[in-house]
Amino acid sequence: MSVFAESQTQETFVVNLGPQHPATHGVLRVKLTMDGEYIDRAEPILGYIHRMHEKNAEVGTWAQFMPNTGRMDYLHALAYNFGYSIAVERAAGIEVPERAEYIRVITCELNRISSHLLWFGAFVLDLGGFTPLLYAFDDREQLLDLLETVTGSRLTYCYYRFGGLYNDIDENFVDGSRAFIKRLRSRMPMYHNLVTKNIILMKRLIDIGPISAEMCRKYGATGPVLRGSGINFDVRKNEPYSVYPELDFDVPVYSECDCMARYMVRMDEIDQSMRIIEQALDKLPDGPIKPEKVPKLIKPPKGDYYAAVEAARGTFSIRLVSDGTNKPYRLKLRSPTFSNLSLYEEASKGMLLADALALMGSLDLVIPEIDR
Amino acid sequence: MSLAKVREALAALVAASQEELPPEEAIESVTEETPEAAAPEGEQAEEAAAPPPPLVDTNHAKKGFHLDVTVAPDQVVQAAEILDGEKYTIEAVTGVDWIKEEQMEVVYDYCDTADFSRVVIRARIPRATPELPTISRVFPGADWHERETHDFFGITFVGHPDLSPLLLPEDADYHPLLKDFTA
Amino acid sequence: MSGYFKELISGTYSLAVGLGITIKYFTQPVVTMQYPMEHVKMTPRYRGHIELVRDEETGASKCIVCGMCQKSCPSGCITVAGKKPEGSKKKVLTTYRLDFTKCSLCGLCVESCKPGALDFSKDYNLASPRKEDYIFDLLKRLEEKS
Repeated sequence: MSVFAESQTQETFVVNLGPQHPATHGVLRVKLTMDGEYIDRAEPILGYIHRMHEKNAEVGTWAQFMPNTGRMDYLHALAYNFGYSIAVERAAGIEVPERAEYIRVITCELNRISSHLLWFGAFVLDLGGFTPLLYAFDDREQLLDLLETVTGSRLTYCYYRFGGLYNDIDENFVDGSRAFIKRLRSRMPMYHNLVTKNIILMKRLIDIGPISAEMCRKYGATGPVLRGSGINFDVRKNEPYSVYPELDFDVPVYSECDCMARYMVRMDEIDQSMRIIEQALDKLPDGPIKPEKVPKLIKPPKGDYYAAVEAARGTFSIRLVSDGTNKPYRLKLRSPTFSNLSLYEEASKGMLLADALALMGSLDLVIPEIDR
Repeated sequence: MSLAKVREALAALVAASQEELPPEEAIESVTEETPEAAAPEGEQAEEAAAPPPPLVDTNHAKKGFHLDVTVAPDQVVQAAEILDGEKYTIEAVTGVDWIKEEQMEVVYDYCDTADFSRVVIRARIPRATPELPTISRVFPGADWHERETHDFFGITFVGHPDLSPLLLPEDADYHPLLKDFTA
Repeated sequence: MSGYFKELISGTYSLAVGLGITIKYFTQPVVTMQYPMEHVKMTPRYRGHIELVRDEETGASKCIVCGMCQKSCPSGCITVAGKKPEGSKKKVLTTYRLDFTKCSLCGLCVESCKPGALDFSKDYNLASPRKEDYIFDLLKRLEEKS
């Protein structure tokens, strides 16, 4: 029997995508049951870098868990610092000085831009374009240098403290941020000309990988995935925290539900983040960056508390259960990409393998955050 | 508006469970009280003796959620259906191990993205036989969250399509988030 | 049919625009640093591994052996020991060992240090195939530096 005749049967075969595969951005393994070039079933297999952060939290004090928060979503670590700080501050009733809140917003948004820039480069790389990655890294590098001057590290930040910050920003940082925004503003049209308007990218993204609003709801997808499905939900607007209500920004929403919509949401979010940073820099008040009285040993009263922030990939939330001691009784970390990836099996059914990789890229996966 | 509707429906659900099982409730409270009376810590005994009401309107600014509802374990699916009907989305499913009370708590976080509100549903199950029905038929997104909870706590979600380890190694037979777990 | 040709023309144009951008960048100066030949200067707040700070007056370490750094460390990578010399009320540091294989550079030890005896070093070119090379004796390092 010839090879061709064999392929006429309805047999499926299994392909392992990952755990070491550039398109899976880390160590995600997807077990694909293929019918020719079409996906019959795509089952993500997780846990390759599971580190049990939640148990780690239970053995240390409240403050000792802070470094761990920067090691889940390594691209938007400050949002995780932010979420954990808010959760503990809410539980223990710690007030944050206004200057600290503004600096938190500025640094968090800078970090969001760096995350989106890396996603932009890596996503286009998944689709076969190598050059934009280098341009995006050029900008991101400047951003990391800037954040390094205040936080002391480049990727796994541990900058926020309960009630404030690790240290204050200086004039160099303010000027540097303004210069960076000016530079990135001038480069955004270049990105759009080079990538967004490119016919190959449009053909690869438009009408590919539909995720309906209903599917998002059933799976609990958040962030750019949800906003690319036409639902206007952003924790910064809907459940305002910190000083976001005092800043004027829009939430980009696209209702096409395809990969292009999710791409556009993220590109527009870079613009909006720049707006937020500019306003926050203008409004930056003087004052302390730590409250006058920070309790040395934090012992939140008994009960459970919930805090959510908008990370670059969606809603990151923390559920704390305190038993009144200096250690967390239970700490649940709800990572956005865990939910976003769970819809992959349903969304990728019947897709071409190459398109399914575009869909995976558009979900913006960060594996350490899924596995925790 | 949907929060008010959900509150009404969940209140009815909670009330139904309490009417249904008056003898069992009574027995439970009796068995709970006897060891507490013997316990030396008066303050703790007092707190535990008055269990929190099953439906609490929480202060969002302080707690981070709007409504906190404790339902019977067999009602979690009904509660999920109520929230599904009001277009809530599932945020997370997780557990808490209350080792002192010999109980496990399963916590469901729901969020309304259209008209923002957060609702928490809890159910307490005995620690020796941690079983409750799955809600993955109502919310397919709960599938992974329930698998993760099974990994970490050993809670069995009855009717779940596949409870094999998700984050832990595939041959893992331990549940690390249990308070008596030692590596 | 006209849509097809329109797309063909606009598509080709978009490719030409992209190519123009890359050609423009081709003529611009290099932005990367030639690493082994050139070195980056670390910013003042760069967090390398910790090191002991010398007390300018006595020439010894500022450490008072309170053990706060050891207590605050989330990964338990610091070992401090000291002893009281005869006739003295203050403890004197005898060992300060940092297990850098476990350290996550969070800086909680530096913050917890009241006398300011700890600081971040600016070393970043640390590479070794042997694990033992990362168990630093900070007291020895302080002596070597003088």
